[in-house]
Amino acid sequence: MSRFVRGFRKYFRLYIRCARTAVSAAVAYRMNFAAGMIITFFSNILFPLVTIVIYGAGLSFPGWTFYQVLLIQSIFTVSSGISNMFFQGIFRETNNAVRDGVFEIILLKPVEPLFYLAATSINPESSALVAGGCVMFGLSAAHVPGITGAAVPVFMLFILAGICVMLGLTLVMAAVSFKWVGNSRLPELFGSVLELAKYPLGIYPHSVRTFSTFIIPVALVASIPAAVLTGRVESSYIAAVIPCILLVLTGIVLYKRMIRMYESAGG
Amino acid sequence: MKQLIAEAVRTFRTFRAVAFATYKEWSAYRTHSMISLVVGPVYFLVQISICRAVYGSGGADSVLAGMPLNQLISYFGINALIGYLTMDFADWNLQMLVRTGKFLTFALRPVDHRFFAFAQKCGHRILGFFFEFLPCLLIFRFVFHVKLVPPQPFWAILSVLLGFIMTFIVDYCIGLSSFWFVRAEGVRAVFRLLQSVFSGALVPLIFFPSVLQKALFFLPFQYMLYVPSMVCTGSYSLAGTAIPLPQIVAIQAAAVAVFFAVSSLLYHRALHRFTGAGA
Repeated sequence: MSRFVRGFRKYFRLYIRCARTAVSAAVAYRMNFAAGMIITFFSNILFPLVTIVIYGAGLSFPGWTFYQVLLIQSIFTVSSGISNMFFQGIFRETNNAVRDGVFEIILLKPVEPLFYLAATSINPESSALVAGGCVMFGLSAAHVPGITGAAVPVFMLFILAGICVMLGLTLVMAAVSFKWVGNSRLPELFGSVLELAKYPLGIYPHSVRTFSTFIIPVALVASIPAAVLTGRVESSYIAAVIPCILLVLTGIVLYKRMIRMYESAGG
Repeated sequence: MKQLIAEAVRTFRTFRAVAFATYKEWSAYRTHSMISLVVGPVYFLVQISICRAVYGSGGADSVLAGMPLNQLISYFGINALIGYLTMDFADWNLQMLVRTGKFLTFALRPVDHRFFAFAQKCGHRILGFFFEFLPCLLIFRFVFHVKLVPPQPFWAILSVLLGFIMTFIVDYCIGLSSFWFVRAEGVRAVFRLLQSVFSGALVPLIFFPSVLQKALFFLPFQYMLYVPSMVCTGSYSLAGTAIPLPQIVAIQAAAVAVFFAVSSLLYHRALHRFTGAGA
């Protein structure tokens, strides 16, 4: 047991050290850091433009007010920000290292490769996205009546499940890049599936709703947590947490298996 | 006269050789292009679902900013398809060449780099035509049952061609900024952001405030994507003005000519700044 605790402490300290280094490295070029934060923020908050246009024209998503839709999109922004900040780098670093045939440098480190990649690819620029998403969330939540304290624990559970989905997708992407060497368009592929999470689930055909709730549960990234806050809870939503956990586990197992297939040849 | 013809033939041969070499080079990565076969339809599914939900809420005959549901769905489909034809990365390529100093090799070649880059784009997009445009066209037509045939094909093809050239010219101008800034990622990122909003890729420009719509007549963005997309749907309007297709295509051609002149000026000024040092 003490060995496990020692191991955990070691990894925790290492992670904190890496996070500090990432922040120091980012702020070394202050202008670049500030510009990066601003660009990241604005390029990721563009999608509510569609919602603004729709509601500005006097139309709506059936059953959803403007601020309720904005609530979905703010939750998506926060989840994306967390994902970009803490684990999107796993794909980027894996993809680059496999393409250049230098992944063995990571394998030689005396820590788990997956942990090493997560710890060394923290992206502080995305903190602007998280902060902006939080402001947007606060603004929209203030205009949505009927949010009760009782909904918050379930909401938090779904938020965590949604972050698991983002992590799972990132790991699967990174694992695929061992075989599909140097494909920088892989994030587009997974990003397109996440697109389904940006709007109320009810606008999609039944098959798409089932797919995005139980097969690749991207709906848990934003639309289901927002549905919970706005009092649209369905008992079947709880079951959707299971595929989220399975997705992360699949991602970890797949990544570890794909490491064994690494050939160091580059591409 | 003979000399002129010989020069034109030589130029065409160079163009064909560069385009073919680029086609062959990128053919090795054709599976990367085929990611669009998933990405395009998924984005389109989301757009269709949004349109149907929103128009449904306003009643079956509702019209949004003068656009009926079918025209809006066609707009998004055509928009995505034109994006595959006109996609460009001349800015990234030129910036990389300047930053690393590799542009020197082009400065020594008996070929104008802008011409070379345009030929590269043509080769690259011919590949895109086969591996992105055609499959997505079939998916949109037979899976989503969207009407994609332009009512006036001549003006549609001409407008798409002009959009293709405009996208290249504007992107090349952005790439030229690296002769002054060396690392022009910020300029590129800001431009991409503006382009995604003001070219009509997210929403048709007629949904924007009237003042902004008027300003967009004088900016290059709408001539890259919005004009070709609207011409393909069969009607064009912006800032409350409906313009007949031949006229808007003529305006688009004039805009291309203006931006070609601007890019020529910038190109010659940029060459004077080039040090070949890299960074």
